[in-house]
Amino acid sequence: MQPLRDAELGAFTFFASPLPHDVCGSNGLPLTPNSIKILGRFQILKTITHPRLCQYIDISRGKHERLVVVAEHYERSLKDLLKQDKAISSEQVLQIAYEVLEGLAFINTHGLAHRALSPHNVLLDCKGKVKLAKFGLYYMTDHGADVDFPIGYPSYLAPEVIAQGMFQSTDPSLSQVPLPSGPKTDVWSLGMLLFELCAGRQVLQNIEISERLKFIITLGCMDDIVTVLAEEHGCLDVIKELPDNVLLLLRKCLTFLPSKRATPAELLEDSVFEGISCLYALYESPVSLFSSSLRCAHLQLPDDITQLCKVDGEDYLTERSVDEVYYLWCLAGGDLEKELTNKGIIQSKPPVCTLPNFILEDGETFGQGRDRSFLLDDTTVTLSLGQLKNRLKDVAGEAYYPLLEDEQSCLPQSISSNELSAAVSLPLIIRERDTEYQLTRIVLFDRLLKAYPYKKNQLWKEARIDIPPLVRGLAWAALLGVEGDIQAKYESIDKDTPIPTDRQIEVDIPRCHQYDELLSSPQGHIKFRRVLKAWVVSHPDLVYWQGLDSLCAPFLYLNFNNEALAYACMSAFIPKYLYNFFLKDNSHVIQEYLTVFSQMIAFHDPELSNHLNEIGFIPDLYAIPWFLTMFTHVFPLHKIFHLWDTLLLGNSSFPFCIGVAILQQLRDRLLANGFNECILLFSDLPEIDIERCVRESINLFCWTPKSATYRQHAQPPKPASDGNGFGKTTAFYSSEYQDLSNTDLSREPLKLSELKAEVSPRISAEDLIDLCELTGPAHFKTPVKRPKAVKTKIVAVDIRSNEDFSRGHIPGSINVPYSSVFGPDGELLQCPSTNTLASYKSRVVVILSNITKNAAAFAAHLVKVNFPRVCVLDGGINKMKPTGLLTVPSPQI
Amino acid sequence: MRKTKGKASSTEKEFVFEFKAGGNHCVLKVPLQFPVHGNVNDLHGRLMLLHKIPCFVEKDLKNKLLAFIERETLEDFDREAEAALQRITNGEVDINKLSNLWAKAYSETTLEHARPEEPSWDEDFADVYHELIHSPASETLLNLEHNYYVSVSELISERDMELKKLQERQAAEMDKVMQELGKTLSDQDVNTVAAQHFEAQQVLENKWASELKQVTGIQKQEYQEWVVKLHQDLRNPNNSTITEEIKVQPGQLTEAGELGARGFEEQRQLEESFTIHLGAQLKTMHNLRLVRANVLDFCKHRRHGSGSSAKLRRLQMAFSLYSSSLCGLVLLVDNRVNSYSGIKRDFATVSQECTDFHFPRLSEQLEVVQQVVLYARAQRSSKQREQPEVPRNGSSDEKNKNIERNPANILPGEFYITRHSNLSEVHIVFHLCVDDNVRSANLTARDPAIMGLRNILKVCCTHDITTITVPLLLVHDMSEEMTIPWCLKRAELVFKCVKGFMMEMASWDGGISRTVQFLVPQSISEEMFYQLSNMLPQIFRVSSTLTLTSKR
Repeated sequence: MQPLRDAELGAFTFFASPLPHDVCGSNGLPLTPNSIKILGRFQILKTITHPRLCQYIDISRGKHERLVVVAEHYERSLKDLLKQDKAISSEQVLQIAYEVLEGLAFINTHGLAHRALSPHNVLLDCKGKVKLAKFGLYYMTDHGADVDFPIGYPSYLAPEVIAQGMFQSTDPSLSQVPLPSGPKTDVWSLGMLLFELCAGRQVLQNIEISERLKFIITLGCMDDIVTVLAEEHGCLDVIKELPDNVLLLLRKCLTFLPSKRATPAELLEDSVFEGISCLYALYESPVSLFSSSLRCAHLQLPDDITQLCKVDGEDYLTERSVDEVYYLWCLAGGDLEKELTNKGIIQSKPPVCTLPNFILEDGETFGQGRDRSFLLDDTTVTLSLGQLKNRLKDVAGEAYYPLLEDEQSCLPQSISSNELSAAVSLPLIIRERDTEYQLTRIVLFDRLLKAYPYKKNQLWKEARIDIPPLVRGLAWAALLGVEGDIQAKYESIDKDTPIPTDRQIEVDIPRCHQYDELLSSPQGHIKFRRVLKAWVVSHPDLVYWQGLDSLCAPFLYLNFNNEALAYACMSAFIPKYLYNFFLKDNSHVIQEYLTVFSQMIAFHDPELSNHLNEIGFIPDLYAIPWFLTMFTHVFPLHKIFHLWDTLLLGNSSFPFCIGVAILQQLRDRLLANGFNECILLFSDLPEIDIERCVRESINLFCWTPKSATYRQHAQPPKPASDGNGFGKTTAFYSSEYQDLSNTDLSREPLKLSELKAEVSPRISAEDLIDLCELTGPAHFKTPVKRPKAVKTKIVAVDIRSNEDFSRGHIPGSINVPYSSVFGPDGELLQCPSTNTLASYKSRVVVILSNITKNAAAFAAHLVKVNFPRVCVLDGGINKMKPTGLLTVPSPQI
Repeated sequence: MRKTKGKASSTEKEFVFEFKAGGNHCVLKVPLQFPVHGNVNDLHGRLMLLHKIPCFVEKDLKNKLLAFIERETLEDFDREAEAALQRITNGEVDINKLSNLWAKAYSETTLEHARPEEPSWDEDFADVYHELIHSPASETLLNLEHNYYVSVSELISERDMELKKLQERQAAEMDKVMQELGKTLSDQDVNTVAAQHFEAQQVLENKWASELKQVTGIQKQEYQEWVVKLHQDLRNPNNSTITEEIKVQPGQLTEAGELGARGFEEQRQLEESFTIHLGAQLKTMHNLRLVRANVLDFCKHRRHGSGSSAKLRRLQMAFSLYSSSLCGLVLLVDNRVNSYSGIKRDFATVSQECTDFHFPRLSEQLEVVQQVVLYARAQRSSKQREQPEVPRNGSSDEKNKNIERNPANILPGEFYITRHSNLSEVHIVFHLCVDDNVRSANLTARDPAIMGLRNILKVCCTHDITTITVPLLLVHDMSEEMTIPWCLKRAELVFKCVKGFMMEMASWDGGISRTVQFLVPQSISEEMFYQLSNMLPQIFRVSSTLTLTSKR
């Protein structure tokens, strides 16, 4: 979106028509409220950007089907031009006509017609250029079907609009809907407008509406409409004196028969504009982030480089794009309804005064007068930016233009930087509502995203702090590594031809996150269907499993106007986190996943694990929807966003930690209850504190040795780096265990039955070496740098007999012979070695043995007595022998 | 202009594209449906894919396709438009009718063209009052209301006393007469005496009724005038006669409160509150309360309670009267719109206990309702005559007969609404019509009474009624056939239906937190009450208690 510059933000409101009582849709579900339909249709208008159009910014739904639309706004309009006595020069008329036509032609290419052209909808910016307002009203209301009021203003309605208008009600037997108004209706309205400008007075103002409309229709019998109009308004001499090209333009616009009237695009090419068309350059829309064309193709340094640095006053805020400014305006306490109420546009009566008297069984109400406050008043109210500017007055200019080169500090070094770094430690919820903080974050992310993929690494770094909600869609795409011409790829997928999955998709969509206005709108359903179908069609080896719809929801919500990006994100997400989950037969993948999950529960919370196993409440009963949909099935969207902000930074084993964190939040209730209550509890998951869940899952993740979550069916390592220097990140959290090259010290695949038999996870020898910080021959891979703060504490427990131990062992390991610790019933015996063991209770305990079965049994016993963080060395001590890391203790003296 | 929705007319046109590939001349013919729905780029992508079009004509195909669709769409627009104009010129459509319809649409829906609003006393008064009650003057207002209330209750106690005396006297007389029966007096004489007594009672009652009516009428007028004057005075503070009054007034209330106290045994209510979450993913919080009480307890002003709590409650009600958080109550009534018998009569008595300064008297409101009912019936029947082919359901015949027999009566599931400013905990009363069917053991979710509940909740949504009290068992008094299993079954049905309606409501109003009170009759046993309160959390998901102590 273009910068705000001298524009202002404006808001206007209207009501969608209420639904009839107790009518169901064809699918048996309740009908979608009209306001939601409008809201869904509105979204695409946000992408229509043109210098002659007022940018649409946002729409919000209020109580009782009220809608408030926010758009770019200017106080001055053609109406003011008409009011002043000064005559308008014919040159100016031509310019205005040309500029309006530019705007109209542009919306026509998007399949829209304005239909509500009038002097107060043609706004003028500070330079006197035309900006069309309310061009989307006709489209978003489904050509007027979703609102009670007629769209357009009586004096400016084209004759065919008047003629078509009541066609339906006169002939109810015809069930066919006439086509909506086409682009040519606006040309007539423009003609009327230009006539007013030339004549210097408003037309048809003094007669009643019905007479006005009749007059317009009867114009069809006249030969020269312009002259008739001029006579009617007594300004024939003024009109006669107009230059020929203006008069010709008027005649062309005010052509009665639509077939003879030109379209806006045709008029633009017309010879009447010969003199002035050269003043206008063709508008080219900016290139989007993901496209095949070069974004820098049109970049040019001005000859005089100092022009770039010229100071344009101190108002940096207005250089930000309109949607950013509006977002910040809302954060700074802006309230649309309040602004409209203050200006008297929203006048609500006390509800107690508007109650009906009598209601029939089918819900029809009687005895309620028509409430005047529901009438349309489409005045646009300017939203004052004073409060926002006041709030941001202390933000230094550097904050608006952060330097990205410096990898060390990316927060601007200004007076407020201390406050900002303090703000980082505040809870996320507060940060997301902090105006100054969001401003700096949005500016920073905006710059980083513009430099994507070059600045990918820095983006990852910043994303670890938080992701500003306004840019989340693009930020996620960047984190998922989306690249290339996604639009062309998406368009080349056949999303229309029916496929067998259609029926299932059709059933699932009306049940997926429907509390959300966007996703429950018909437009949302259409987009849902297309993205899902595109995914199914383009992944022939995978199938649609229920849950894919939920998975699609966050991407679609964030990229509502960019299906291609939603599709691309989803296609990047699934192989990363849900590799092969959508196979036709996915049981082996899911079984392995769930087994690893239950090992993780035992690893992190043995007490809970023991209880759940005892009552038979295994992960298969509750965790499949969690992982298959990456928690999108169980949480509302706003929670998913916070969860995924972190999930996307982690590797594919991070979901295990989230799962354990959720269980731990419900720990008390799970421990207290039996099987039935647990099933009931999870059938409708209680509220989860998502920030705590994220915090705890990060903590759990840091405690988990990488190889503990090894899965044989995980995504195989990608082919070696394609030489893309910045494509690969090397961060501790995000690198996949599988990505690292396989050595003989890595974990080896296990059969599912063997895996299931083991309570505790196995870890690889290299993890052990890494975590114990053993140094040895450098033939094994060096671990990636790891933040020192989360250094994992580990203790190796050697359960071989004393003799074996003394023959060679890992430095720092303790010897607890298997037989010495546990009694016949598995209870922990009291002996010195158990005491040592107990003193290591806060560390990760790695069991070493030469017999794998013994190690596993030992670990199981430890878990049984609620010993946390127990794991087993994969391959046993034998794996360690070739490394030459074993030491022999010096004989005791 | 509003259009009725139907299937859009569509025509098929053939798009022809020719290109040369090597030596071959290829022709692609595609039938396209007009008007074109969906994205042209997608269509293009699909054509490329399905027909394996070589990529060197990709751009060309796209341009041709776009141009073709644009041209044909424009043609369709023109044809339709001119057909419409044609209809007017050849007289198929009457131009006068057409323009009048347009004019009507404009004047009914837009502020610019609408007729100016006639000033409404009610709404102006509402604004004035709402402003005053949220100002320091609120205390004065309440005191004034209270003083009026006290004088009405004095009048009522006087009336009760006189009626009681009369009844005692008549009883004594009747005793005497009965003793003489068969001796000096005949049956005839006894009847005459009884008639006389009845008449005397009627006369006295009427006398009091008219006096009450007069007093409340005067009070209301005085009050409203005073409120308006106070408002004006507060606007221009130079003239501060009343502002002085405001300062003087406080302090009277407590005395007056005790003065107005009257013997009124308040039975202990049993109640239990729950906080619930509704919704699968996004959850909304609501409050539920199960209360054992008499339905009229929500209307009667409590004279016994301590002065300050009664005052707080009255202040609370006054605050919210013109706000968007109203309180409603469902009263189950029979099919006649009046207040002659049963609960209707009791309710009318309660509603007269103090003056309603804002809304018309109950009897007047009921008259209006009666008119509206007749109007609604007339509307319905004319509509049915227009569309006779749509039978609503099987029972409609019988229903129609009932309506025809007595169009002034209402049917089960229908309800009328009255507004009150003088009840203790309720602003809005929904008078829901039920028949004997509600006593039966096998009531279904499709029963008119349940549907009525749904519509009541819908009105709550559209008119910002955030607290609603519902009789859980759909009866106000217990009777013999209402056994424990009957109660449990009924409670389960109503709980489940209300839960469903509340979930539905979330989609109507975006999930505003509400309070729903389930009312059970006073005569229900304590044990039964606890059984019901155990049932509630099984049907609604009760939110977990917040643990303040952290685990670790």
